[in-house]
Amino acid sequence: MTPEELLYRKTHEWVAVETDATGAKIATVGISAFALEALTDLVYIDLPEAGRKVSAGEPFGEVESVKAVSDLYSPVAGEIIEVNSALTDQLEGLSEDPYGKGWLVKIRISDEAALSELLDYAAYQKQCQEEMADD
Amino acid sequence: MSSFPNTDCRLLVHPPSDGAWNMAVDEYLLGWTVRSGCCCWRFYQWSEPTLSLGYFQEYSDREAHAPSRDCRVVRRASGGGAILHDRELTYSFTVPATHPLARRRLWLYGAVHQVLIGLLAARGVTARPFGEVKPGGRAPFLCFNRRSAGDLLVGEAKIIGSAQRRLAGAVLQHGSVLVARSPAAPELPGLEEVTQRAWPVQELIDTWQQCLAEGLGLRWRNEPLSGEERIEVARITAEKYASPQWTWGKKRRGGKTSQDR
Repeated sequence: MTPEELLYRKTHEWVAVETDATGAKIATVGISAFALEALTDLVYIDLPEAGRKVSAGEPFGEVESVKAVSDLYSPVAGEIIEVNSALTDQLEGLSEDPYGKGWLVKIRISDEAALSELLDYAAYQKQCQEEMADD
Repeated sequence: MSSFPNTDCRLLVHPPSDGAWNMAVDEYLLGWTVRSGCCCWRFYQWSEPTLSLGYFQEYSDREAHAPSRDCRVVRRASGGGAILHDRELTYSFTVPATHPLARRRLWLYGAVHQVLIGLLAARGVTARPFGEVKPGGRAPFLCFNRRSAGDLLVGEAKIIGSAQRRLAGAVLQHGSVLVARSPAAPELPGLEEVTQRAWPVQELIDTWQQCLAEGLGLRWRNEPLSGEERIEVARITAEKYASPQWTWGKKRRGGKTSQDR
């Protein structure tokens, strides 16, 4: 997936939605390159166990950088079915390939309502530019 | 003159209090800022020497620091290393995510620390922010033995350490000014040792408050915690910050740790 094909939450999580063999919609979730650049010196990430159910907008993990702990928010409602646990040992994968090896969790979507609230690439880019302009 | 817009800011000044209560108040104020969209600045102190662990630090790491082994422990919601709170002045600052100060995490550290640089300079003390951090290596257990970009040094001694908790709607930044050396962390000199003069805490509060108003454009509004708010703080204290599960039960997963950078 390229950044242009993804959806985004205002809190900078990206989402790729695909349909699996059973017809279920699966959301792959990560952190945008823009947010990772702002996070700078990432030292730790705490991700959930597979099997946990989350609602849209609920924190599902945490990251620490420059003495700041930030929540990661789920863009969709559903069950976490896979976690990229390799990241806890190799945080550099997150910054090196945020839209590939840096994915965080896969969520089997139980309610698609929140998808309509996500931003497309153009709207997300606009938000990022506005944040940059404030700088 | 401030380069930030004038901002109404709730002001709280609390007497020395229990560590779990102190952390619960900061968490309550973070939620209050999310709900109200208003800033809050709080000055506080600690009723007994207390070790606060960074959010991701293991409880057992404290064993490495012998002088503080008999001190009570609380876990913060913010990151970074452990702090021994004793002869210090502590602050917390909660800011809505939409406020210019909250946009970049380093800005908020820099803005608060810059005000302190001005305060010290007016008293003939030169403080400077620490420069670039070289990556790699294991970070020391205590925050004041670590060096991060923006940390404030007088000579080679770090005299203020700050950390953050960021939510979608607001950011909490809290930090400590080491006023004087503590017997429970004797390796860390405070302002009194490095400047060879006394720093009465009330004078520091009054002056810092004035400098914050000028430097960050804060317009103070005294609004003590209400009875209802104190009940909520008591609930957060009991359910979270005074609970053994919160303080001792945090386990890191994976080999990379918040001690590394």
